[in-house]
Amino acid sequence: MMETLIITALNGLSLGTLLFLISMGLTTIFGVMGVLNFAHGSLYMLGAYMCLQAMRLFHNFWLGLLVAPLAVGLLGMAIEVQFLRKIYDRHLTLQLLLTFAFLLILDDAVRILWGAGYHTVDPPRLLAGTLKVLGRPYPVYSLFILVLGPAVGLALWAFFYRTKVGMIVRAAAMDREMASSLGVNVPKLFTYVFFFGSWLAGLGGALAAPLRAIGPAMGEKIIIESFIVVVIGGLGSFPGAFIGAMIFGLFDAFGIHFVPRIHMAIPFILLAAVLLWRPRGLFGEEI
Amino acid sequence: MRRGGVFVVLLVLALFLLGMPQGAVAKKPLKIGAVYILSGAFATYGQFARNGINLAVDEINAKGGILGRKVEVTFEDSKAKPAVAIRAFRKLVYEEKVDFLVGLDSSGVALGVVPTLPELKRILIITHAATPDVTGKKCNKYAFRISVNLNQNVGAGARIAAKTGAKRWTTIGPDYAFGHQSWEYFQKYLKKLVPDAVFMEKVAFPKLATEDYSTYITSIMDANPEGVFISLWGGDLVNFVRQANAYGFFKKGYKVLMSLGAATEVLYALKDKMPEGVWVGTRYWFLANPSPTNKRFVEAYKKRYNAYPSYNAQNAYTAIYALKAAIEKAKSTKTEAVIKALEGLRIEAPVGKIYIRPQDHQAILNVTWGKTAADPNYPIRILKPMVTFSGEEVTPSPEETGCKMK
Repeated sequence: MMETLIITALNGLSLGTLLFLISMGLTTIFGVMGVLNFAHGSLYMLGAYMCLQAMRLFHNFWLGLLVAPLAVGLLGMAIEVQFLRKIYDRHLTLQLLLTFAFLLILDDAVRILWGAGYHTVDPPRLLAGTLKVLGRPYPVYSLFILVLGPAVGLALWAFFYRTKVGMIVRAAAMDREMASSLGVNVPKLFTYVFFFGSWLAGLGGALAAPLRAIGPAMGEKIIIESFIVVVIGGLGSFPGAFIGAMIFGLFDAFGIHFVPRIHMAIPFILLAAVLLWRPRGLFGEEI
Repeated sequence: MRRGGVFVVLLVLALFLLGMPQGAVAKKPLKIGAVYILSGAFATYGQFARNGINLAVDEINAKGGILGRKVEVTFEDSKAKPAVAIRAFRKLVYEEKVDFLVGLDSSGVALGVVPTLPELKRILIITHAATPDVTGKKCNKYAFRISVNLNQNVGAGARIAAKTGAKRWTTIGPDYAFGHQSWEYFQKYLKKLVPDAVFMEKVAFPKLATEDYSTYITSIMDANPEGVFISLWGGDLVNFVRQANAYGFFKKGYKVLMSLGAATEVLYALKDKMPEGVWVGTRYWFLANPSPTNKRFVEAYKKRYNAYPSYNAQNAYTAIYALKAAIEKAKSTKTEAVIKALEGLRIEAPVGKIYIRPQDHQAILNVTWGKTAADPNYPIRILKPMVTFSGEEVTPSPEETGCKMK
């Protein structure tokens, strides 16, 4: 019984870790720029396709893991510079519509470029097998994600709270105008932030590639889950994204194990509960 | 006066020409409307259907069409949603004025669409959606199905399961009509063959398009079944198999059946990651039928699309040929006449001989299952051994289906 609980917890945490990386990008873009990026899930999907493409070209997963997020980040940057930037002053709904348009465009673009079928990426040989955890086989790749996620999280925390650039980003998130009048080049900063958020989505996608079937619309589900995570954790909050993702992952895994019939409702019950009792989310700032 | 006379003659001639049946001047094309999933996670199924239809239509048109009329097909996206599909069919019938309808991938969509057919007064040939109800409880005279349905596929599966010797069974299937009905029928059929079979409390019904199956997998492994019946399909099955591999699921000695595991899109995506020695079913297997019709189809398909045909391609291809046969038999394109001709129609298709039962409009055809095996001549797993059941054996009688044809 104990082993089952621990294995289930590990399953939940590895799902949570992947969600954390993706939600982190979503919440950073929202926190700093105030943009709710509907296309974030599609950028995740694109990360997986880019990883697939890199594998086809170089036959090396690690290179794919490096290149795919960069490519997605650069695309995000182009979207920000060419489109988003022009409508910051307009009504919020226009931003939503624009990012939603990119969701549709990207979903169709991958279908045209890579076909409608399913693709798979093999994990690198080093991470392919299983490891005995409490006497049961557990996929090494899931353990790898479990370790990598918090490492990336820690690096991000150090970046935001221990470097000057990180401080500037936080300042701009808090008060755009004040930061601007203190000499921060806010438009440029936004471009970098969008690059960074897209990079995280791409990283999530590239990491998911060896686990999941790569196909059109693979971002549709993750974007909803990520939204739930950031609402639970608090929109724009970094620790919130981490805790929210872990709560989501654990509730999902234990829900599947113990109450499979209603587990699908669990994330939404969580969401409703948070909105009722703490609308700003666990770590969100006072609205 | 003379000038006026010429004018009148021309006018009469023009009216006469306009009033004539148009076929006499230039035969207008026969229009077919097709509704499949063309976008989203299951878009690959729509693509296969389109491949199959285009191949059939080009072959038919190259030989002079149907009753001398060229065939034209208009495709619409169902987005896997009943409401969208119903709208698409209305548009095809009322705006595009199509003569016949083919389509449908999802059982959920088929259940929504079939009851609206009497209002459209058009024949719909279903080529994929497998729910027993559209040729059962919810049947009507406009709905036909040319493909293997859930009853036939699962009935054959239960016969395989009975021979594996496993007694304690559980399931993993998508959480909608198809997954639940697959399990229900599997239990019903297996119970008849193996009265002491046990069906476990612990079952798994992940949502359609679930990406992470870890806990479903560990949870089932925890319950330690003897046999696992899997009705996941498409990308879901690809996801499941890869993640189950990572947990050593296939090395535990369970008897595993996948009702749609022999779908070529799944086999192409998984390649050597599909474990060997697993029983897999399908609705058409390109190597099952040695007939010249099948050989010709597989070669033509492979030449044009550079892959072995999936069941969805064959089913859609065959639907067009079934329409052709029925129209030629009826010598008419009138809906009522073609319904009569389709009822009891026998055709030779790549999948084999097909008989359309008049009582419920379900095709009776061979059903293939097999064990996955590697073969150096194929880029994907193939079926070895292959077991083919006759349609008569695995199809319940028309009375059992609950269909009252109106």
